[in-house]
Amino acid sequence: MPREHLLKIGVSGIRGVVGPFLTPQLAQAFAQAFGTYVGRGRVVVGRDTRATGPMLQHAVHCGLLAAGCEVIDVGVLPTPTIQLYTGATGARGGLAITASHNPPEYNALKLFNASGLFFNHYERGELLDIYHQSGFREASNAEICSVVQERTAPIRLHFDRVLAQVDAERIRAKKFRVALDAVNGAGAVMTPQFLRDELGCELHAIAVDPEKPFPRVAEPRPDTLTELSALVKKHGCDIGFGQDPDGDRLAVADESGQVLDNDDVLAIAVDAVLARRAGPVTVNLTTSMAIDDVAAAHLAPVNRTAVGEANVVEGMMSSGAVIGGEGGNGGVIFPAVQYCRDSYAGMALWLDRMAGTGRTASGLANALPRYHRRSATVTLEHGWLGTVIQRLAAEWPAAHRDRRDGLKLMLDGAWVHARASNTEPILRLSVEAKTAERAEALFLRAKELLSTSGPPSAGPASPVPTQGE
Amino acid sequence: MAKNVRISEVGLRGVVGSGLSAEHVVDFASAFGSFLGPGAVVVGRDPRASSVMLREGVLAGLLACGREVIDLGLVSTPVLQHAIRRHSAAGGISIGASHNAAEWNALKFLGAAGTYLSTAEAGELLDLYHLRRFAFVDWKNIGRLRMEDDALDLYLEDLANAFDFPALTGYKVLVDCANGTSGKILRRLNGRYGFRFVLINERMGAFAHEPNTSASTVALQLAPLVEPMEADAGFLFDIDSDRVAMATETGEPVSEEMMLPLLADHLLPRSAAKLVITNLSTTGLVEEVARRHGGTVIRVPVGRQAATDALAMYRPDEIAVAGEGTGAVMMPRFRFVYDGIASMLAVLSMMRERGAKLSQILAGYPSYSILKGQLPLQPRRIPAMFAALERRYADGRANSTDGLRVDWPEKWFHVRVSQTEPVVRVICEHRGGPLRVLFQELMDQVRQYAS
Repeated sequence: MPREHLLKIGVSGIRGVVGPFLTPQLAQAFAQAFGTYVGRGRVVVGRDTRATGPMLQHAVHCGLLAAGCEVIDVGVLPTPTIQLYTGATGARGGLAITASHNPPEYNALKLFNASGLFFNHYERGELLDIYHQSGFREASNAEICSVVQERTAPIRLHFDRVLAQVDAERIRAKKFRVALDAVNGAGAVMTPQFLRDELGCELHAIAVDPEKPFPRVAEPRPDTLTELSALVKKHGCDIGFGQDPDGDRLAVADESGQVLDNDDVLAIAVDAVLARRAGPVTVNLTTSMAIDDVAAAHLAPVNRTAVGEANVVEGMMSSGAVIGGEGGNGGVIFPAVQYCRDSYAGMALWLDRMAGTGRTASGLANALPRYHRRSATVTLEHGWLGTVIQRLAAEWPAAHRDRRDGLKLMLDGAWVHARASNTEPILRLSVEAKTAERAEALFLRAKELLSTSGPPSAGPASPVPTQGE
Repeated sequence: MAKNVRISEVGLRGVVGSGLSAEHVVDFASAFGSFLGPGAVVVGRDPRASSVMLREGVLAGLLACGREVIDLGLVSTPVLQHAIRRHSAAGGISIGASHNAAEWNALKFLGAAGTYLSTAEAGELLDLYHLRRFAFVDWKNIGRLRMEDDALDLYLEDLANAFDFPALTGYKVLVDCANGTSGKILRRLNGRYGFRFVLINERMGAFAHEPNTSASTVALQLAPLVEPMEADAGFLFDIDSDRVAMATETGEPVSEEMMLPLLADHLLPRSAAKLVITNLSTTGLVEEVARRHGGTVIRVPVGRQAATDALAMYRPDEIAVAGEGTGAVMMPRFRFVYDGIASMLAVLSMMRERGAKLSQILAGYPSYSILKGQLPLQPRRIPAMFAALERRYADGRANSTDGLRVDWPEKWFHVRVSQTEPVVRVICEHRGGPLRVLFQELMDQVRQYAS
């Protein structure tokens, strides 16, 4: 059996390939469990532009109505917009139907509490128990509420929240020429309006039709944003933005069309915020050391958390961080707008920084301290995790060890981080160093040590390698 | 609290939140989407609050099976059935519990011709439902939803071809919409064709009274208003407008049993078709009317399923009219769809052609007295009960196709087990005055076997 995870129901919610695996039955039952958990009241529901979105949204409405909730249907909207609106309208909770950056055959339910935040670990556990116990709340005819459509208020709210945190007048005065690739995702319904009408940019946009399928790989990365690079060059744009289908992640191309490293995207956002206000920064363990340098220049402390948006948000809340995010995947989290990854906050902060410093996008990026990063995924057989992690620890005995999420080894001017994925049977390896040579050497050695081709050399018991079928 | 849900060849029916669940709805819609031949599926709903929830589940199941879904919104079942034929759709789902109380709801499954599924088809649908092995498509082929808002107008245009509308607009007619789908239809008839329907309980939503079409419901709010309003007649529809009941211009509620004999009397002389199909519990006046026109009555077991199957056993041009003693009547002109609006228009046409008031037309029929009762069911003892009744009334002509019906000249009784509720129903009819002695005797005997 191939170890493809076509359906996953767990603490991160429900995600899978729609049709034979992620069925309307599962979506309805999960939504009814959600409605049972949050209680009778308003629940905000929105989605990205996936073809399977409307079907799953009807199933989600069915489950919520059956549990006695009133449904606020916000239609196609970016995930951060849905979160913001959930938190601002006194709703009991919210649901976004989106598989984020995953391929189009996937879809998923993202779950938000009354504040519009991702469910924390304990909330997710309780919801999952209700789902498995199937003792759902069932409303009678007299208790069943209606579906209310609300399309414009969430967009306005999101724009206003973001614009209040930057010098919008100064950005408008610059009349930036901006390229956009919205992957025909949820951003398509509001990003052009945001950049053109709210920030006064001259916009050159592709993939802004929410009715059409994703024209590229959904995850915005340098290798998937070639069209954006070409667009920047063709129109001589000052900057290019690439979104993922649910508008939480942001990729940035500079004026030469080069797509920047996601850690640099976050670093400039951090710099932009710290230039306006003092306070701590929170990022995950795999985020670049460039953040430490940027924060140090503003005398701001940096806290690190386990990987995952929910972990970073929890860390930010407990430390009172003014900015944070996840470097690896272009997630800027700006609490003054909302505790969630938000490409709109990211876009506004970038334009604000360009307007404030008078620098070009490449000028901003090139001014960042230069680090070299390598990352890879390594297939992991069950039973091998302890073995390979111990090998890694033994290789660099002098390193400072951080065991909050797998193992991160802090070396002098470099680090190695290996962690097991929560969603797939793989290890994610990331390495960063001052020089490309050192990064490459550390990366190759770590990758070799993580390989499970040889017999395990340590660990409580020798696992039996599974035979291929 | 007792749970109430019933899954059978008739479809899915139950009390929402206490038996009928969202899961049932999504599963049934998925089964139906897997069952149908190629083509679109038309969906409509009644104004119950819970129908919104059922609609969402129905759409999810159908779209997941790759169906194009045409949603007509709030419409009567006959309008939905009309739209299925118009679109040459694969089928349709009517969301609503018709004449049942507000807390109930149901899914009714309709085939390609807009008619109810045959027992064989419904059995296959049930198998798919129970197997839960649904024909879900991949993401590229997922279905699309389309809203359609002109279904009512196109339905009315069909009615306008069948009836002489200008001739009927002279009547002032009072209608109790029972807060169902008929209000929208009648408003449109007034606005577009100049009818003079005066509506009560028009607002869709909470029910002002139970939505059944019995004479006792007519007597509640409709009948007392007909004479003061100087209306020519009063009509009451159930929620999905497939059944209708009447009151005369003098404010008399008319027995729900009268609709079928009345329309048989109207239609038999106008057609070469001579068959009248009805069930074993419907008034004997049907036979008497049919005999006047050389017609023949076919009696089948009670319930929509038996009627649907019976219709298929005869050529459509042999059947003059079909229906039951609940006010549900289907006419060949309307492809044998139970249609309360069409039935009402046929009664008005009859008044117009005869130049008579409704009370005068009704006075032309002999009086039949029908008594109806019910007792809680004790399933284990049912066979013994029927055996005892058959022995006791051996002097009559027995028919055991649906419980036990025994006929004597000018009187009959029918004892049967309900398909929708856990009760035994007792019906007793006599030409002339009521048969209270026989009815009481039957009730007492059935009670010995009841729970």
